[in-house]
Amino acid sequence: MHHDLLTELGRSLVSGSLEDEKLMAKTVDPQPVQILPEANVIKIGGQSFIDRGRVAVFPLIEEVVKNLGRHQMIIGTGAGTRARHAYSVGIDLGLPTGVLSVLGTFVSMQNARMLHYLLARHGIPFIEPVQFPQLPLYLAERGAVIFFGMPPYVFWHQNPAVGRIPPHRTDTGSYLVSEVFGARSMIYVKDEKGLYTADPKKERHARFIPKITVSELEELDLQDVVVEHSVLGLMKHATYRRSIQVINGLEEGNLTRALNGEHVGTIITSD
Amino acid sequence: MADTDNTEDGRQHIKSMLMRESLLDKDLQRSTETPVYRMLPNACVVKIGGRSIIDAGREAVYPLVEALAGCLETKKLIIGVGGGVRSRHVFSIGIDLGLPTGVLAQLSMADSLGNAHILGTLLAPYGVVAIPPEIFGHLLPLFIHSVPGVIFNGVPPYSLWEHPPALGRIPPHRTDAGSFLLAECFGCQSLVLVKDVDGLYDRDPKEHANAEFIREIGSTELKARQLETLPFDRVLLDLLDNARLLRSFQIINGLHPDRISAALNGEHVGTIIHAG
Repeated sequence: MHHDLLTELGRSLVSGSLEDEKLMAKTVDPQPVQILPEANVIKIGGQSFIDRGRVAVFPLIEEVVKNLGRHQMIIGTGAGTRARHAYSVGIDLGLPTGVLSVLGTFVSMQNARMLHYLLARHGIPFIEPVQFPQLPLYLAERGAVIFFGMPPYVFWHQNPAVGRIPPHRTDTGSYLVSEVFGARSMIYVKDEKGLYTADPKKERHARFIPKITVSELEELDLQDVVVEHSVLGLMKHATYRRSIQVINGLEEGNLTRALNGEHVGTIITSD
Repeated sequence: MADTDNTEDGRQHIKSMLMRESLLDKDLQRSTETPVYRMLPNACVVKIGGRSIIDAGREAVYPLVEALAGCLETKKLIIGVGGGVRSRHVFSIGIDLGLPTGVLAQLSMADSLGNAHILGTLLAPYGVVAIPPEIFGHLLPLFIHSVPGVIFNGVPPYSLWEHPPALGRIPPHRTDAGSFLLAECFGCQSLVLVKDVDGLYDRDPKEHANAEFIREIGSTELKARQLETLPFDRVLLDLLDNARLLRSFQIINGLHPDRISAALNGEHVGTIIHAG
């Protein structure tokens, strides 16, 4: 059979094995295009932020509104305490990780809907994964969209090495959006200044870490880290999103400063 | 039990085992390790290769359909299908156009869905059709109790959220991985990958006549051997390591269709890869 219509890579891929490392090395170039290079992905914490209610959420919403027209924002939501409740009920009943992932998705969707209604008067839509093809239009027209942070893996969610809690949750889902779109930044809005050597809510002597690389962080082997481990793993293979910032959204102005590219929390870099 | 805990830390918690805890804490993660409930213990997952079987045309597919029809008389089958040559082609064009891994993953769903409908058409006389991916997972238990089997596109719904691989741009979670993850989550009896080779060899048997056949091997040893190529998605080895319910799978040659019913009956007719 002649494959005159195929590129050289096309010929190799059609006939070769996708597990052949020599062939995979040929798929490195060309560098991917940046699909939405002006967009910023912002993840708003569930337990750390939305569960605090009006006192935390309203000022942040105001700050988002102030940045409309200045920065494009793709806003993902965390799940929080209701997901913890659902996970604990599910684990007690012996449900698999894939089902827990479905339950977590529902909670982060509730949070996305709530933020969406608070931003609705500014014409900001909430989109589910199936509506992502419309995302560029909404972003161009309205400057922001809301989505639920959980990646849509549902029953196909991978097991963690230890325990049963889905390893790829809302930090990961938001991160992957920033990487696939070649976005300008990935900002995690939480209720702590950033990364500490231990959970600062429990350890009074926890030390703040303003900047760190993924490999340094892995070497520290902390008991508890401010972002999901899988984000760190994915960052190592990223083409574009090779740094993320964790900020304290309870402090007014931090989100704006982070959107302006300032260092206000912890910056974690791939290398 | 609608107890809430409005604490001094300003966050409203619901009382639960995981309340107020960081889910990223290692001790907490260990505490969640408990036995897993099997949703569909009597169903078997069979993945039919795209390039190896469907693309080979009538000569390979018709006898296989007949063999599957025979199995459907006694077994409940969940049949996943690969994307084959069209997925390879769309990957090559997509890479040439500079599209990232997540977009390639999204594009490839269409090819295996097409193949699912091709196989669904041929299995329609036996009451087996391709189910739309949007409803497949949620309605699967209903289908399995109502019909002899179902077909789905093997691609897991990772789409734009696919993980960028360590090397190159091809999505690492393809149809073998989608079939594996489904079987693990639903606690199915077994996973059989149907290809056009007898199983695993130390080298590609199509290029090396003296390639050595490996009848059974563990994931740890297989990783250590660092074979240049594998007849299944490499990520399966990691998924096996973390599997709680599906601790092995078998690769068989679908050009010998009788091996399908043998494999479904638990016979060792290809290569068995097990966890550990």
